[in-house]
Amino acid sequence: MIHQIEIKNVTFQYPGGMQPVLNDVSLTVEKGEFVAIMGGNGSGKSTLCKLLNGLIPHYYVGDYSGSVRVNGLATEETSVAELSHSVGYVYQDFDNQLVRARVLEDASFAPLNFGYADYKERGKKALEQVGLVGRDDEFIWQLSGGQKHLLALAGAISLNPDILIMDEPVAQLDPYHAKEVYDVLKMLNETYGKTIIVIEHHTEFIADYCDQVVLINEGKVEWKKPTQDALRLVDQLMTMQIYPPQVTQAAYKVGRLLRGNSVTNPLFESTKPYPVTLSEAMEFFSEQQSEEEPTEITQEPKVMEKEPIVEMEQVYFSYKTITRSKKTILKDINLTLNRGDRIALVGNNGAGKSSLMRLLTGLVKPEQGTVTVDGLNTNKFSPEKMADLVTYIYQNPEEMFIEDSVRKDVEFFLKARKVPGYKERVDQVLEQFNLTDLEDRDSRLMSGGQQRRASLAIGVAMNPKIILLDEPTANLDIATRKHITKLITSLKNYVEAVFIATHDMQLVAEWANRIIVLKDGEVLHDGDRESVFTNAALLKLAGLHPPQIMELSRGLQIEPISYTVDDFVNSYSQILGEENKDGVYS
Amino acid sequence: MEYTRKLTDKLSVEQAKIELLNTAYGNDQTFLAKLDPRTLFIWYLFFGLAPWFIHNDTVLIGLFAFMVLTTIMAKVSPLIIFILCLGLLGQGGYLLIAALFFGGGISTIMPLVMLTLKLSIISLASITVFCSMDPEKLSDGLLKIGVPGQVAFSISYGYRMLPSLLEEYHHIFLSFRLRGKAPEKHGFLYIRSIIYFIKIAMLSFYPLLLSTAKRSRTTVEALETKGSFYAFNNPKVKAIKLAHLIYGPRDYIFLALSLTYVISLFGLTRFY
Repeated sequence: MIHQIEIKNVTFQYPGGMQPVLNDVSLTVEKGEFVAIMGGNGSGKSTLCKLLNGLIPHYYVGDYSGSVRVNGLATEETSVAELSHSVGYVYQDFDNQLVRARVLEDASFAPLNFGYADYKERGKKALEQVGLVGRDDEFIWQLSGGQKHLLALAGAISLNPDILIMDEPVAQLDPYHAKEVYDVLKMLNETYGKTIIVIEHHTEFIADYCDQVVLINEGKVEWKKPTQDALRLVDQLMTMQIYPPQVTQAAYKVGRLLRGNSVTNPLFESTKPYPVTLSEAMEFFSEQQSEEEPTEITQEPKVMEKEPIVEMEQVYFSYKTITRSKKTILKDINLTLNRGDRIALVGNNGAGKSSLMRLLTGLVKPEQGTVTVDGLNTNKFSPEKMADLVTYIYQNPEEMFIEDSVRKDVEFFLKARKVPGYKERVDQVLEQFNLTDLEDRDSRLMSGGQQRRASLAIGVAMNPKIILLDEPTANLDIATRKHITKLITSLKNYVEAVFIATHDMQLVAEWANRIIVLKDGEVLHDGDRESVFTNAALLKLAGLHPPQIMELSRGLQIEPISYTVDDFVNSYSQILGEENKDGVYS
Repeated sequence: MEYTRKLTDKLSVEQAKIELLNTAYGNDQTFLAKLDPRTLFIWYLFFGLAPWFIHNDTVLIGLFAFMVLTTIMAKVSPLIIFILCLGLLGQGGYLLIAALFFGGGISTIMPLVMLTLKLSIISLASITVFCSMDPEKLSDGLLKIGVPGQVAFSISYGYRMLPSLLEEYHHIFLSFRLRGKAPEKHGFLYIRSIIYFIKIAMLSFYPLLLSTAKRSRTTVEALETKGSFYAFNNPKVKAIKLAHLIYGPRDYIFLALSLTYVISLFGLTRFY
């Protein structure tokens, strides 16, 4: 049998690398499969994919042995250009993959380069396939992040390759657009029979879309299995810091808890497989579900004295677009932020989250209305002055690195203000964020998680009253995300209020004590997690996707709603326990 | 305070980006923009060089009038015109003062005025030509007249990157502001603040260089997989790419009219 992709005993070491990135790797992929490649950071996932389009060994000339066949072609003997007719590649930083100024030009760039006279039609067809139509003559800098991703995808399929590789589609996109991209991939897979390979660690997407999973660990392929089987290997995945879907984790934990308590329950005694998708989980858990009287939620009385620290009154904000027309971003915002607030600002891309935060820093001034931070009207003070009170941490940490080492970046603010004894303070902050060993490194060359820590350290060293974080958990793998979430939780000890703009509903549910929902530049809702996550209409209107475990507990009508897997396991095993006591299952 | 606000609004990085992109890509609907790039090259070859060799003031004034006309036709962004005028006035004014200071009279001023006139003609011709060609057209035109594919591609790629680079520069610049310390007092004629801003404007380039170097890896790999290196040396690809460049009646008419105008200017000099 001839496999579409056949990798045999490949070992590869980058020039100048200390050890092989791929170590005796063998793998086959059949035509029409939808494969997810999972593995920790630095496990060799991207390197494996670059074998397939010939970038290795033609472009990266390192120590290479073994053989790779793609569509019957030996990659060692076939040029990258020729292989690109068989393999399309979409990078994680897809923005850098777009090389022409206009949409259609970029989509038809590859067909043009290979001398197809009908290059424009090919580009158009690719754009149609990904659903990016009617924008042929737009400039790429006018596109949103999601549209740029689709364009990169169109460019990759413009030569009509049989195989499409996509490196971490979800990392740079909000959940709504991520789903959109996956739907396109699914269509390409089902309608056009393309083989899709994604590098992914969001197991919930894997469960919903992929049919095969490859696990890579330290340059070795551990296994390739059908998705259902792969994601049920909870123990193995967890030791590699890969988190299976929340519903799978929940089933696993409930099972273990019950076995540990030796509570007999037919559901978990049987070897019934764990669910991996929400719908499977609904079935899995609802077999156990009886009519529950909703328990009364006892609200802890909130008698805390509120001290306002930020006041926004009738704030309007707009900016000029490239076509010189004005675009209104924020409309009539009236908000008071109080000391002790841990606020999550949520809403789709383009809802105005970043603009609202920037108004607090004084970098931009409101078109109308006033913004007052700790008694200072931002209209009257420069951003440098406001920086004594407010720290803004960019979504992309690289944009905060203005020096050539972590230490210099962290001390920049204190040094500029000639704060006495700043060295000790910097030492302490570096220690706290686990950066002491990295202090001389160039921040740009560190991993995503390290960069994020460095950007938080820069913020904390400024000793602000309010800290603003823009998407602090974006682009991180789940293990790093959990670590950063912990660091964010510790921030409340140093500052009076924390304000986070995010799509990460897990972070929102676990951390925030106040949630502000923005839509189209207006405040749609200002409440807490109960008022937001129990309001299905609101979630839908604002385009929010609550974590899977919350959906599950809502679907099962478990009261109060579970915000984390552990919450769910507790509530659920309680219900089971009670039923057992009543002798329902005896 | 209100005026400084308005001025800084106009001078913001954001505004610079908008003007730049509009100058580069904005006006593709004018008569001049619809000409073949080769026509514009030929035209520019004459009007960009000839003024240096012409010493007749009537002809120069005639050429200047023509350039003003084409500049208007090209719908050049007011900002560019403003910068040009500022430059010319500064140059002319400084020479004038120098001439008067060292005891020159009308006789010294006249050649200076002529020089300024020549410079204006050349500048306006450049503005007309380069505002009428978007980078893609310029790049295609260069490719057509035999410039290597790599160079032609670099021009259009450079412009594609410009907005992203400006945006990133802006972010870094703001990072400096968000962590730096502005002078407490503005100083005489805002001199302290101006020095502070110039300093961070320069410092912001360094991080930009470093991060751009890092990002270019993906771009180079993508170019490789999209076959652009293959295309640079392939005449067939070049032919397909440039198939849309067609010399039309519009081009001949434009060149003929320009030529007629120049000849009649020289003819005019016989009578004056």
